[in-house]
Amino acid sequence: MPQHIVQKYDEELKKLSTLIVQMGGLAESQLASAVEAIVKRDSELAGKVVEGDAKIDTLRNQVDDFAIELLARRQPMAADLRVIVAALRISSEIERIGDYAKNVAKRAVALNQAPLVRPVHAIPRMAALVQALIKDTLDAYITDDATKADAVWARDEEVDELYTSLFRELLTYMMEDPRSITPCTHLLFIAKNIERIGDHATNIAELIHYTVTGELPKEDRPKGDDTAYAVVNAPGGTR
Amino acid sequence: MNIELMEPVTSAATSAALQPKVSIENLAFYYGDTKALKDINLTLYDRKVTAFIGPSGCGKSTLLRVLNRIYEMYPRQRAEGRVIVDGVNILDSGQDLNMLRAKIGMVFQKPTPFPMSIYENIAFGVRLYERISKDEMDERVERALRRAALWDEVKDKLNTSGLGLSGGQQQRLCIARTIAVRPEIILLDEPCSALDPISTAKIEELIDELKADYTIVIVTHNMQQAARTSDFTAFMYLGELIEFGDTKRMFTHPNKQQTQDYITGRFG
Repeated sequence: MPQHIVQKYDEELKKLSTLIVQMGGLAESQLASAVEAIVKRDSELAGKVVEGDAKIDTLRNQVDDFAIELLARRQPMAADLRVIVAALRISSEIERIGDYAKNVAKRAVALNQAPLVRPVHAIPRMAALVQALIKDTLDAYITDDATKADAVWARDEEVDELYTSLFRELLTYMMEDPRSITPCTHLLFIAKNIERIGDHATNIAELIHYTVTGELPKEDRPKGDDTAYAVVNAPGGTR
Repeated sequence: MNIELMEPVTSAATSAALQPKVSIENLAFYYGDTKALKDINLTLYDRKVTAFIGPSGCGKSTLLRVLNRIYEMYPRQRAEGRVIVDGVNILDSGQDLNMLRAKIGMVFQKPTPFPMSIYENIAFGVRLYERISKDEMDERVERALRRAALWDEVKDKLNTSGLGLSGGQQQRLCIARTIAVRPEIILLDEPCSALDPISTAKIEELIDELKADYTIVIVTHNMQQAARTSDFTAFMYLGELIEFGDTKRMFTHPNKQQTQDYITGRFG
């Protein structure tokens, strides 16, 4: 797109997107550290993640403040308006991602005090996928790439499927060995938090699609999470 | 000459469906040998506000001037094509220009009150078209001033000069003068460019009220004003109509890159 006649306007929009990318990068590394804290059973690292969330919140306030200032001073139109409104919304999506990463870290502290359970290994796999979604979303944001954003949007289905299979696996463990109920419950919540992070990444992808094209994606996002319909049959028993 | 003029239908009768009021078809316009408008096709809808935007020299004021054929006051200016208002091509040579200008009123960039009393500023125009009693005229003047949201400010000094009013009041006086002859279409050529923000807000409020009864066309350099006041926006560039559409869409996601560049203040 051609430059603005008023150069400072371009600089301001650049500053806004830099803040967003900074926020997104921070959220991405918060998730990575939270998951590392689980894998390495490192409660100290988990504590750092919990504290680190405040930085994302601060950035979120900066983005909102600056976006509102731009709305008031520049009275943006068309593409500029969409960029600024999207920034406002993306900042709140990233802020939620940060909150979930923090929750994962909190659970990690509790999990580390319980005996190790096998399905822990599924968590890093799921987290790696979600981190890739966040990274691709941020790349799509920097390059105004609606196609890439749409790809993220479609790929969240994989996260949902991983979550569903982990959910089943955890239920089986809990039925086999009631002593695993505490760690498995924490794991279940962790998995759910990571799955929610994936949802927020797709929300951001939708907003990128909107910024570039002026419209939200038309079809409904494919979903692979059917745990809402899960029923448990006790071993040997009847329902 | 006794001319019967149609009283505008009130807003209650306005249906949700869009009714075309003016159809501009294959319009071209020349200042001598210079082609200022190229093949313009555009529909103006009944009792809607349409804004013409575009950089200086794009032809937006020219297009406005074609709509009541005011260009005929100048030599070597001519229009080709058709402008259909209520089924009649107003560019036809048989068109009565006085009647046309009563039906399609115009307000200019700079307020142009006549050097006479506030009352006479309005009565003068009415007398050109109608012969009515003093009482009727008093009522007509009051109604026009009320409609233009000026009555309360001038009712005690109707016999003082219109030139003594502030710029914003003078502009509303000009709008009152236009309304008094009961037009159906009001053309506003940069009506607020010489006004302060408060007077501008009053004119915009007035536009919002008037569109219940009149089809309004506004030419403005102020993009925010076009976005605030209009239902439809036409973007023009170098004598061509680049894009026309619903104002909400035009200012959130225009289809054409040229429109985008212009309304966001980019080099095109």
